[in-house]
Amino acid sequence: MTSAKTFLRNRLSLHLTTSRLICTLLFSSLFSNLAFGAERAIEIIDEMEALYQGASSSATMTMIVETPQYERTMEMEASSIGTEKSFIRILSPRKDRGIATLKLDMEMWNFLPKINRVIKVPPSMMMGSWMGSDFTNDDLVKQTTLTEEYSLTLEETDEHFTIILVPKEETVTVWGKIDYIVNKEYMVPVAQNFYDDNGEIIRKLEFSELKDFSGRMVPSRLEMIPMNKEGHKTIVIYDKLEFDPPDVDESVFTLRNLRSRF
Amino acid sequence: MLLLKLAFRNIFRQRRRSLLTALSMAGGYILCSFSFSLSEGSYSNAISFFTLDHTGHVQIHMEDYLQRPKIHKTIDDPERISEILDARENIASHTLRVFAPAIAYSDTDNTPTQLIGVDLERERTTSTLEQKVSSGTYISSGLDSDGYYSAMIGAGIANSLNIGMGDELILISQGADGSVANDIYIVGGIVGNRNSLDKSTVFLPLQAAQEFLSMTGRVHEVSILLEDENDSRAEAISLQAELPELSVDPWQEVELTVYRSMQADKQGNVISLGIIIFIVFVGVLNTVLMSVLERTREFGVLKAIGSRPTKIALMISLETGLLASMSMFAGLLVSFPLIGWFTLYGFELAEPMDVGGIVMSHITGELSLYVLGTPLLLIILFALLISIPTGIRAARISPTQAMRSN
Repeated sequence: MTSAKTFLRNRLSLHLTTSRLICTLLFSSLFSNLAFGAERAIEIIDEMEALYQGASSSATMTMIVETPQYERTMEMEASSIGTEKSFIRILSPRKDRGIATLKLDMEMWNFLPKINRVIKVPPSMMMGSWMGSDFTNDDLVKQTTLTEEYSLTLEETDEHFTIILVPKEETVTVWGKIDYIVNKEYMVPVAQNFYDDNGEIIRKLEFSELKDFSGRMVPSRLEMIPMNKEGHKTIVIYDKLEFDPPDVDESVFTLRNLRSRF
Repeated sequence: MLLLKLAFRNIFRQRRRSLLTALSMAGGYILCSFSFSLSEGSYSNAISFFTLDHTGHVQIHMEDYLQRPKIHKTIDDPERISEILDARENIASHTLRVFAPAIAYSDTDNTPTQLIGVDLERERTTSTLEQKVSSGTYISSGLDSDGYYSAMIGAGIANSLNIGMGDELILISQGADGSVANDIYIVGGIVGNRNSLDKSTVFLPLQAAQEFLSMTGRVHEVSILLEDENDSRAEAISLQAELPELSVDPWQEVELTVYRSMQADKQGNVISLGIIIFIVFVGVLNTVLMSVLERTREFGVLKAIGSRPTKIALMISLETGLLASMSMFAGLLVSFPLIGWFTLYGFELAEPMDVGGIVMSHITGELSLYVLGTPLLLIILFALLISIPTGIRAARISPTQAMRSN
């Protein structure tokens, strides 16, 4: 998209020099308007995706997994640098304490302290459930970068931006379409709806309960609701969220740290 | 009474002819009963083999666990069910089990496995698991001095993970509460060989498996061994009435595909048994027919001196029936000890067959009323049946023509 912009800019300057001003202005404004829509959409998505991360962040959260058979609550702490590196460690329940997940770029490892083993998550398991929740490993890893692998269309209402993401032809994904709804006032996500190839809604991710975390307004409650599994739901509540904390540096995101007993 | 006397006299008057007829019938009977015994014997062998191997005679599950196994479909009060089952007289024993797929790791390799948690004490009397342990010992259910549970693994896992007795086995699976199940076990025994059904199964003590899968106190399956295998359907129905919230199935339902193919195989067997019976019948038909046709002149004389046609027909049927009964008695004297020996000892196989870790070295038969009685009744009935048209034929004969023939 940036190349399209430079191209337009080049064209503009070229036209200016050839002093066919009126004609050019007419054309360029038309093109840049179109380009502006997609570009704004990319900006919004990038802003949303970076919302919980910042340059670096650390968070304490509670995950509640609800199914018709059981309800399970886990407390965990997470740190990240940008969107490339993240580290999650389960604090409770006691049985699962110390289980950790490390994500570096496109790769992901789990550490199980009881058996003292690091297990790499294979690509085939990326759409598999993370720790029995309704979030997939891919949701955590974000192996697919939304702005690169999808074509974006921006729709606007008084309160919301709705960005419709359709996978590009070469993109490998299970989604046929994603709706990304953003609150205009606070510039925070409201919901994401995931559709399959037939346009049927498969799951919904809802953001609510705006909270001030070190000066940023961020939704503190995320609810992932799979539409094809009745009674299933995963809730993530951010209890604490810090941006650019002093204790998060590169040494956190290593296999060595993953392996360290806790 | 006179007819009976005549019939006896006729049989013993022509000793050689009677002996031949009797031999043909007795021989046919022995052949028939022996094939019946072989076919029944191999089925009951197969049934007792796999009911003892793992299915038991009746199984109890939650809802449709049998069709769609899900880790959360559990029986939540196995103690109560154990009490009920222990109190019933026709139940020999029962055992409790949990199942889950898992991945097994050694230091270097990993392989998918089927994890089965078994009540070690009850399993001992319900299935042949203990006999299948090919090296090491039948594990105990307690923790060892380092705080690890023991596990028995199929020979296929031992081979692909390259581990043996005393080595660490790591299992990873998903618990019933969605958590990551992971733990270390010590290999205490190896089950079967690399061709066994259990080659990629890991057996854990019930409690260890329940802890591993976060489902303490709950089980997936209750497997029941009855005193008499033939009661399985009736017992399943009566237990179902007592446990309406669970599903109770006889082994015929549990192993539906095996049962169906066995039934189909049995039907195929009916054809080969039918052919054997047919050959025997042709032999009987031949001798009975000949013994009547040979005596055309005799019947002509009987008619000429005033015998009633019905009496002649009746006499022939009586003769045939008597002869058939006597030969069956003789046949029974031979086949009873023969089949008895076949059932008890059987034929030794040139090469012992290994079926799921259990070595079968003999083919054995079955001794039952069905095996001995069915061919006996069939042959007597058939002999009587063919004596009717021949008798009618003899009765209708004209004395002048009959006496002219030789």
